[in-house]
Amino acid sequence: MPLEILLVLVVGGIAGVTLLLHLTGRSRLHELTPKTAQDQWLRHFPNDSIIDVTVATDGHAALVRIETGAGLLWSFGADTVARHLLDFDRIDHPQGFEVQFHDFSTPRVVIHLDETERRHWQHLMEPA
Amino acid sequence: MTDQITFPDAVQWAVPVFIAAILAEFLWIAIKGRGGRYETRDAVTSLIMGAGNIASGFLLGFIAYAFFMWLWQITPLDLGTSIPIIILCFVLDDLRYYWVHRFGHRIRWVWASHVNHHSSQHYNLTTALRQTWTYTFTFMMVVRAPLILLGFHPAMVLFVGGLNLIYQFWIHTEAIGKMPRWFEAVMNTPSHHRAHHGRNARYLDCNYAGVFIIWDKIFGTFVPEQEDDKVDYGLVHNIGTFNPLRVAFHEWVGIWKDATQPGLTTGQRLAYCFAPPGYSHDGSRDSSAQIKAKHLARHPKDRGTPGFEQCDAELSASVAKQS
Repeated sequence: MPLEILLVLVVGGIAGVTLLLHLTGRSRLHELTPKTAQDQWLRHFPNDSIIDVTVATDGHAALVRIETGAGLLWSFGADTVARHLLDFDRIDHPQGFEVQFHDFSTPRVVIHLDETERRHWQHLMEPA
Repeated sequence: MTDQITFPDAVQWAVPVFIAAILAEFLWIAIKGRGGRYETRDAVTSLIMGAGNIASGFLLGFIAYAFFMWLWQITPLDLGTSIPIIILCFVLDDLRYYWVHRFGHRIRWVWASHVNHHSSQHYNLTTALRQTWTYTFTFMMVVRAPLILLGFHPAMVLFVGGLNLIYQFWIHTEAIGKMPRWFEAVMNTPSHHRAHHGRNARYLDCNYAGVFIIWDKIFGTFVPEQEDDKVDYGLVHNIGTFNPLRVAFHEWVGIWKDATQPGLTTGQRLAYCFAPPGYSHDGSRDSSAQIKAKHLARHPKDRGTPGFEQCDAELSASVAKQS
């Protein structure tokens, strides 16, 4: 196949699929509730015992306290990603926190929190 | 010895079919309200990985091709290009695919290339195109050497390899349940390959087949999809990025960070490169055998069911080692 035609097909195909998915509502983020946050955490870490879950008001992140410490669960497209809070930096962000994980595959996430939530989460994220 | 043999680049010619099939699958899901899920950034990442795979073939493909042509120069055998020979080459190349794929899950150096194909939490036709950019660096082209030394022309070997990849495109879907029983018995199908993409303990390290599922049945790695254990797609530790560069290289970076830690023995450094994924020198990570052991500790009723039958002895050893 001539390279120019292949290029047009690939670029056009990616652009077309992107537009179609976005315009049909496939860019929505996963919405968390306390129950689904628990289920999602155990999907990622089935061996953990959860103490409690705090879901952000916007429903896109949850702080999970487990027997061995704390963890962060957040919406990742239509799915979720979770990490134990072991090796990370918490940086203030105009919309809440930015958490940096020192992990090339999961570099950072911005957690949207209002001022009251931010203080509460900061307290929960501090090492016991 | 015939050098001037050409075969079409089947994968490139299949690109329009890939795009049309993705649109058809999306419409099917949208209309029926079942049969899979699409998410914009996930799909775009997969498509960019597919485009990058083609680009890496243009940039690095000459390395494998030069190696194959060198083998072709030294072999005294030439089986020609008749239809029966092409069919035989296709079947043997599928056996080659089975082993490369199995190495891809059991040797971290090869997993570093293959992991990106499993990095989506979705399973649709775009997932099929989430392909590696770094296959050349795994040196798995050596597994094709026997075929060429047996007298299969390199161009034919690459052609049937392309057909193999094209076959595997359509099995990346939830829109098809089960195929007829005879087909499920012999061929790789959406159901078998869904299980392969599962991060559930049951489905770890199973169903490596490309086209013929018989290889898994012969070599003891077949696990049928279970109705009561819905496949959860993705990685044991799912990644948190849609950035194609991070998707393509994250495991290579992980190998580098692990193998260059201070205070390790040479054996431990090599194990971080070549042992099965999940190896750690201090036991801080779980291998797939340990994940299965922990699952069985939580769900003893699953002992002896598909995906857990063969591992009892292995699991006992693993648990004993841990304790």
